[in-house]
Amino acid sequence: MERRAEAITTAAAALLAAFAVSLVNFANGGSVDAQTGLTFLVFLLAFGTIFVAVRAFAPRATPLLIPPVVALVAIGFLEIYRLAPERAGLQRWWLLIAAATAALTLMLLARGTTSILRRYRNLILLLSIGLMLLPNLPGDWGLPLRGLEVNGSRLWIVLDLRFTEMQFQPAELAKLGMVIFFAGYLADHQRALREAHRRIGPIRLPEPRQLIPLMLAWGGSIVILIWQRDLGASVLLFAGFVLLLYAATGATGYLVAGGLMTLTGAAAAAYLFDHVQRRVIAWLAPFEHYQDEGFQIAQGLFALGTGSLTGAGPGLGRPDLIPNASTDFIFAAVGEELGLAGTVAVLALFALVMAVGFGISFRSRDTFRKLLAAGLTFALAVQVFLIVGGVLRFVPLTGITLPFMSYGGSALVGNMVLLALLLRISHEEAT
Amino acid sequence: MNGPIRRVAIGVFVCMSLLLAGVTWYQVVRADELRDDQRNPRPLLLERGKERGLIVTADGTILARSIEDPEDPRSFVREYPEGPYFAHLVGYSSFLVGSSGLEGAYAPDLRSRRDLTISDLVAALLGRDLRPNSIEVTTDTDLQRAALDALGSNRGAVVALDPATGAVLASVSSPSFDPSLLLGNDAAEQFDILLDDPTRPLLDRGTREIYPPGSTFKTVVAAAALDTGTAEPGTTFEDPVEFQLPGSNATISNANGRPCNDGQTATLFEAFVRSCNTIFADLSIQLGAVDIGITADALGFNQDIDYEWEIPQAVWNTEELAQDAAALGQSGIGERDVRATPLHMAMVAAAVANDGVAVTPHAVSRVFDPDGSTAEESEVSELGRAMSSETAVILTQMMERVVTEGTGRAAAVPGVRVAGKTGTSTGSEDFPNPWFIGFAPVDDPTIAIAVLIEGSETSGESASGGSVAAPIASRLFEVWLSD
Repeated sequence: MERRAEAITTAAAALLAAFAVSLVNFANGGSVDAQTGLTFLVFLLAFGTIFVAVRAFAPRATPLLIPPVVALVAIGFLEIYRLAPERAGLQRWWLLIAAATAALTLMLLARGTTSILRRYRNLILLLSIGLMLLPNLPGDWGLPLRGLEVNGSRLWIVLDLRFTEMQFQPAELAKLGMVIFFAGYLADHQRALREAHRRIGPIRLPEPRQLIPLMLAWGGSIVILIWQRDLGASVLLFAGFVLLLYAATGATGYLVAGGLMTLTGAAAAAYLFDHVQRRVIAWLAPFEHYQDEGFQIAQGLFALGTGSLTGAGPGLGRPDLIPNASTDFIFAAVGEELGLAGTVAVLALFALVMAVGFGISFRSRDTFRKLLAAGLTFALAVQVFLIVGGVLRFVPLTGITLPFMSYGGSALVGNMVLLALLLRISHEEAT
Repeated sequence: MNGPIRRVAIGVFVCMSLLLAGVTWYQVVRADELRDDQRNPRPLLLERGKERGLIVTADGTILARSIEDPEDPRSFVREYPEGPYFAHLVGYSSFLVGSSGLEGAYAPDLRSRRDLTISDLVAALLGRDLRPNSIEVTTDTDLQRAALDALGSNRGAVVALDPATGAVLASVSSPSFDPSLLLGNDAAEQFDILLDDPTRPLLDRGTREIYPPGSTFKTVVAAAALDTGTAEPGTTFEDPVEFQLPGSNATISNANGRPCNDGQTATLFEAFVRSCNTIFADLSIQLGAVDIGITADALGFNQDIDYEWEIPQAVWNTEELAQDAAALGQSGIGERDVRATPLHMAMVAAAVANDGVAVTPHAVSRVFDPDGSTAEESEVSELGRAMSSETAVILTQMMERVVTEGTGRAAAVPGVRVAGKTGTSTGSEDFPNPWFIGFAPVDDPTIAIAVLIEGSETSGESASGGSVAAPIASRLFEVWLSD
């Protein structure tokens, strides 16, 4: 019965995507066309694949995760299609690839259960580090796999398949690998990490020896920041690790220490690195630096304000005025064209996914699965907060994109795998 | 372990609540401020670039059209090929300074139906045409152009109507302006320049400003007198040099300072043809404010006229004038507080021409969809009978005599029977406002016209309806009837 409701809401969300595409067409003088049908079919095919995979490999998984995710992808797709139709075509292919990857993940985990991830956590860590290093491959050697520098950051690899080139950000998958490793590591060491604290007043401070993992994670983040200039991944990894460390141990001291280290790191980075400094300036005074650093944030705020309650309507606003609207600023694009109604809907859908994610974690009896579900949900929450908070000037922009919604194939693949992992855990822990 | 996870979860939802508060802050509390920020181009860009319908005349002259913006094929720019000639009638639709004229009045028809209102959406889903509707105006392009040219450097207005249908054949106001100036990025500055211009080029003097109608109002008084039987064309009146207003020291005299006829008696006919103030002041007091008011109201005074846009009411204050005979005497010659737009006075001429029946004016004949089929058609709307048929016939004879041998001789057109009435009303400072109202041809009138010159240094202190306004009417009758 729940599965049927899930199927109906999923199909409805796919219909929403097709409907949204038509609306954009109407706004530009077209009508229902091949794009509409194609979008509907691709959404149906993509989420149908996941759906079938869930029935086959995780039949007792929660039915509450897929529908809100389809809705988020649909709203994001609307704005991508509206901003850059040619990107939307590419994004449809990526949606199919991401769905296939998610289905494959479910299939592989069906044989060994998620505990296989715990067993091979060190291998996964190595793979993740390897993935993160891939973009540092030379861009001009003869091999089909090359690194690529974009805007001063080395985040991309190019896979030359002779007939076509694929670009990918391996860090998007590496983030998941890191979360899996953290969950596995903490599940194994949580007792040791939890014990032997010094107390200073109400705060329990961990032994210096037990701060080593924290220091390592911090160091890793800083290496990423310096070497790859990826502020977003750096913050996400460290915040994710600290939250998971706290979840595993309940030691407030880790939160305090992690918070202090984040602040120190951020202050130092803002002081030392130009690219971080520019983001801080844009964050603190976008309108005073309207001509340069602040332009993107100011345009994002103009978009939100102009959108007001109900928005301009799909295809009828001017979110194209915001630089990188389809990636970093897709939330502002939604705000301009769908208004507060749209932005609140997006936040509510994310909150629903997070609530389900935490629910899965709460109900898990196995420590690893509990931590993994929590870690994946943290990763999602941190990303949402960093980018939406960046658009709304709560925090500086970090280059993180909005999960499930922003244009970008690698992130979509990564987040769909995240979805598959949550689904699988909920199946394994279902009573 | 659930404890810490729960605390983090609570933290996450607190953060989500903060985001909700933040987005509400920007999209509700500060929305107007951000939208109206000078640096935010959105409100302007959204207004600009939308396709709007055509405004064309029945003879195919394009008055306004949207063409694809050469710099951005997705958006449109508005064009006004006739420039100043139709500036007040067609108006403008500017993303910076708003809209006016038919562009404003027909905005709901002319707008593109791609705004995703519910009805637009239904239309789109049903595969209906989303292109905007267009409007066809009733004007004659040659007449319209000739009217503005004839006004020349004068301030003033010409309104010409089809007496039978109320269709506007021409409606111009001088000086005019080029509406294209208000389309560009500097529209606000251009608008300010036009606003600051002392000749007030943005003002549509034909439909949006009321003036004392002066002696052209004698047409209304004469109609009331004939209709009520108070006087006939041959009825005689005393013919003094000055008419003493009752209960007042003030007197009324004629324009030339002489008696109307021989200083003994003058007929109504003579008084009308020579536009004698003395006798019309006398007649008005004899008639009474109420009877004049009934005819004036039937001709469209003291009420909202259902024109394409709101026009000021023409004023004949029956209640006040019924109490004040001196004021009534002054008002009977179209002075004091009597006011009308040139459009109202064209309606008066049209009613006489139309056998005594007043018709509501309209400037748009139909709204048509992109395929050219009519979506909405204007119907002739009668205001009602303003005077008896006999009165209209007699009044026509009197008005024809004005043109053949009276004050309006300059309105004559060779080979055409023209009827009319001149007027010269008090203007600003020492500059009088010359008027002419009339129609042609007398046997089967096809055009009724009102010409107003707003007194200024250009028209001069000695300008009169006969010397300045009547020649313009003559020229326009000629243009119209030569087609």
